[in-house]
Parts: sequence; C-alpha cells; structure tokens
Amino acid sequence: MGIITVLWEKWVEFRRDFYKITVAAMISPLMYLIIFGLGIRVTSHGQPYIQFLVPGLVAMCTMTGSFSAIAQNMSVQRLYEKALDQVMVSPTPLWQFILGQIIGGSLRGMYAACVILVLTTPVRRGLVFNGLSFFIMLLNGMVFATLALVLSFLAKTYSDAPRFNTYIIMPMTFLCNTFFSTEEIPDGFRQVIEIIPLSQASGMIRSIAQGEAPELIGFAVLAGWLVILGTISVVFIYRKKNL
Amino acid sequence: MIELRGLTKKFGDFTAVDGLSFEIKTGEFFGLLGPNGAGKTTTISMMSTVLLPSSGEIYIDGTKLTRAASEQKRKLAVITQEYSMRQDMTMDEVMEYQGRLYYMPRKQIKERSAQLLEFAGLSDYHRRTVRHLSGGMKRKLMICRALLIEPEILLLDEPTAGMDALSRRQMWNLLKQVNNRDMTILLTTHYIEEAEALCDRVAMINRGRLQKLDSPQVLIKELGEFTVDETGEGDLKSSHFATREEAIRYLESTGAGSVLRQTTLEDVFIDVAGRKLQ
Repeated sequence: MGIITVLWEKWVEFRRDFYKITVAAMISPLMYLIIFGLGIRVTSHGQPYIQFLVPGLVAMCTMTGSFSAIAQNMSVQRLYEKALDQVMVSPTPLWQFILGQIIGGSLRGMYAACVILVLTTPVRRGLVFNGLSFFIMLLNGMVFATLALVLSFLAKTYSDAPRFNTYIIMPMTFLCNTFFSTEEIPDGFRQVIEIIPLSQASGMIRSIAQGEAPELIGFAVLAGWLVILGTISVVFIYRKKNL
Repeated sequence: MIELRGLTKKFGDFTAVDGLSFEIKTGEFFGLLGPNGAGKTTTISMMSTVLLPSSGEIYIDGTKLTRAASEQKRKLAVITQEYSMRQDMTMDEVMEYQGRLYYMPRKQIKERSAQLLEFAGLSDYHRRTVRHLSGGMKRKLMICRALLIEPEILLLDEPTAGMDALSRRQMWNLLKQVNNRDMTILLTTHYIEEAEALCDRVAMINRGRLQKLDSPQVLIKELGEFTVDETGEGDLKSSHFATREEAIRYLESTGAGSVLRQTTLEDVFIDVAGRKLQ
C-alpha cells in the first residue's frame, strides 16, 4: 500500500513535469549520438560505431534517469522542503517508502531509456531489445535509484546533490562500457570498472542487442549492488539519528 | 497517554534536550514553553521520529515510539514550524498524499479534504500549488492536512507563528474545538498568552531541561499573583507578590512610573528563562 502511495506521488510529479522530464532525458544522449554516432563516423568491432553506442546509451539513460529522479528530489524533500517529515511521522512502513522510491526511480530511468530507443529507431539497424533487455534496464535503474537514496540521506546541504552527479555519475558515464568496451582498459583498473553496475548493464544490453546471450555474472553484480545499497538505505531511514 | 522518559538529544558536544521527563494525559492540552534554542522543536522532532533520541524513550499508550511503530504513528499528526510540504503539489494533492500515507479510502480523502479546505477558507485555491500560497494559507493547509487523518494526538510546533492577531484567534478557537473532541494536543509556542489561554498544563524548559511543570494558574500563584513593574532608567524590573496588599506596599515605596498588575504566565516564563522574551 505504501509502495502504491509513493508511486502515485511519482506519477503526480511525472504528469506535471512531463515535458521537462522528456526533454531532459533526450538532451545529453542525443548530443552523444550526434557527436560520436553521426559526426565522427567510425567503426568499432567491425560494425558502425552507432551500433555499439546505442545499447550503451540506453543503459546510461536508465542510470541517469533513475538517479536524477531520486537524488535531486529526495535531497530537496529532506533538506529544503522538509516534506520527508510528513512520511516519517506517518504509519506508512518506511521500507515500503524506500521500495516505492526505488521502483518509481527505476521506472523514470526506463522512461528515459525508452525515449532514446524511440529516437534512435531510424539509425539503429538489427539491434535487438527484448523483454530481458527491459528487465536489465529495470534492474539497473533500481540500483541507481537506491544509490541516489543513500546519497540523498548522506547529503548535508541542498547543493550536495549536483556534486554527487559530478563525482559519481559523470565518471561512470564515460568509463563504464558506454562509449568504449571495458576490454580496452588496463588490467587492475578494468576489474574495478567491471564491478560497477553500469558496466554490467551496458555489457548485457549490448550482448542482447547483438543477438548474443548476456553474461549471467552481470545479473549477480546488479543484484548484489541492489541488496547492499537497499540494505544501507533501509538502515539509514530506520536508524539514522538525524534524518 | 504520552510519556517522555529521560529524553536526551545531543548534536556533537551540544546537548539540545537534556533528560526531559513528563507525561501528557489523554485529552490534555499541553504547552511546551521555552526561549529560543530551549529544545522545543528538537523535542517535537523526536516525538515525530524525524530525530532519534541520543538516550531516553517516548511511550504512547504504554508502547515505545520508534520509526517502525506504525500503530503508534497512526495516532499522531504533526504541524511543524516550517512548511513541511511538497512545494510543487497542489492543495488537493497535498491532502491526497497525506490521506494515502494514512491508508484512508480515496472517497473519504476527497470528502473530508473538501470539508476542511472549505472550513479553512481555502477551497477556492484547491488547485493552486503550495509554492504559490501565502504564508498564512500554507499554515492553514498544514492544519487541514493534520486534521484530515483525525489524529488522537496533535503535535503543534509554533502553529501561529507569523499569523496576524485575527487569524491567531481563529486558530485558538479551532484548537479548542478539536481538543474538546478528546484529542491530546502538545503545543510549543512563543506566544505565552496563547499557552495561558489554551493549555491545561505547561512545561517550561530552558537549555533542554525541564524547569517547571504545572497548570498556568498554579505556576502564576507560585510566583505571586501580583506584579509591580518599575520602569526606571535601566531595564524594566518586575517584582512579584502573593497578595495585593504586599504589592501596594512595595509600589508605594517605589518612584513614579511603577505599575501594579496581575501576574501572567509570561512573568513565570521570564522568571524561569532568566531573561526577557525575544
């Protein structure tokens, strides 16, 4: 029931800011597509680079869409509007609130990814996006929505939210299998990059897009992150002394 | 009944609330008074579980209040000092969100919400977003939101702050009405006359510690029911006396400009706080 309440709140937000959310979801992936996919025409792994790029951008959009839907919003609600107080004092179980945020954030990420899938329809040829791809997008979105929750509980000021974006999301965007394969990264650093959820999500979505089976380890990595971050966010909301 | 047992809250080295213990009876209108920084808001924040105590406990009807205590929290509604609402929601959405958080059926939310907004004179603005409301309207909306769920316990943190005198009186009447329905009310306020007019008992705290606790009448009697104010060249000096005769004798011994009057709860408060109200 509490989950439905949070999803309703997310729906109200989505309905109101539909155009802003949609345009924001399009801008940066569209730039990457134009620059790397159409502007600098190269081939990668024996195929047009855009075929490599699109699955990575889809994974990236689930990350940025989910993260920004929660990080900014929760920081504002907790530190500026104090609207989180309304939830804290209510009888809605707080774990349901957390789960609602994770699902709601993930759906926003999936929406951003769907926008990109629609936009790239004319340029992507033969790439496959099936139910399993969407499941990976959902899982990836859940991981980053949960990360956003944890960080927004740690935020001390309103301006911390954009900083998290700069310190965490932007490096992941460029390093984690979106624009180039992690195989190109030197040993040692590569292993670190590969345990980051976006690397796995991009890799799996790309494998499916190219008609191959995704590596199962990717699911384990995403599920592992989800469990760890989910546990931290639940512990925070129940135990953090000064929320 | 609400019980605070040794409630303490520390922020680093600073102790905001220090071993606060008292009980609030069911249906009681209870005031929590103190100067700025006394720990009133921190106490309310702990009672609404936004802050967790460093030590001590809060019990509601004998059960410890925690963030997981949904049954206890169902009884509680809070009106905070700040406008703790989503600024981008409309009034209708704010009310619906509150109702949903308390598992109210949608039909009931809509009906009751319409009644409350009408009662508060806000029904013409029900589709307006919170950020476009005046301070007074936001305050009224917070009250409607709290009353929507028909709470057994209402925690009010400076509910009339920033309101004009007329709105404040209307608020007093409203609070008296809801208290008559056996709702337990905890009120923190800077307006001491508000506490005197509304509260059955008041607790005075300073630097997080309980200083006095009793009915306003008893507290006034303890200090002395008559006060002589001396307005000399320095600060205003007030002296308190148990009887009118004693007060008159003292008045006659002072210079011109001294005034005899009834002692108020504000005198008790100033006596406890050791300084004038801000």
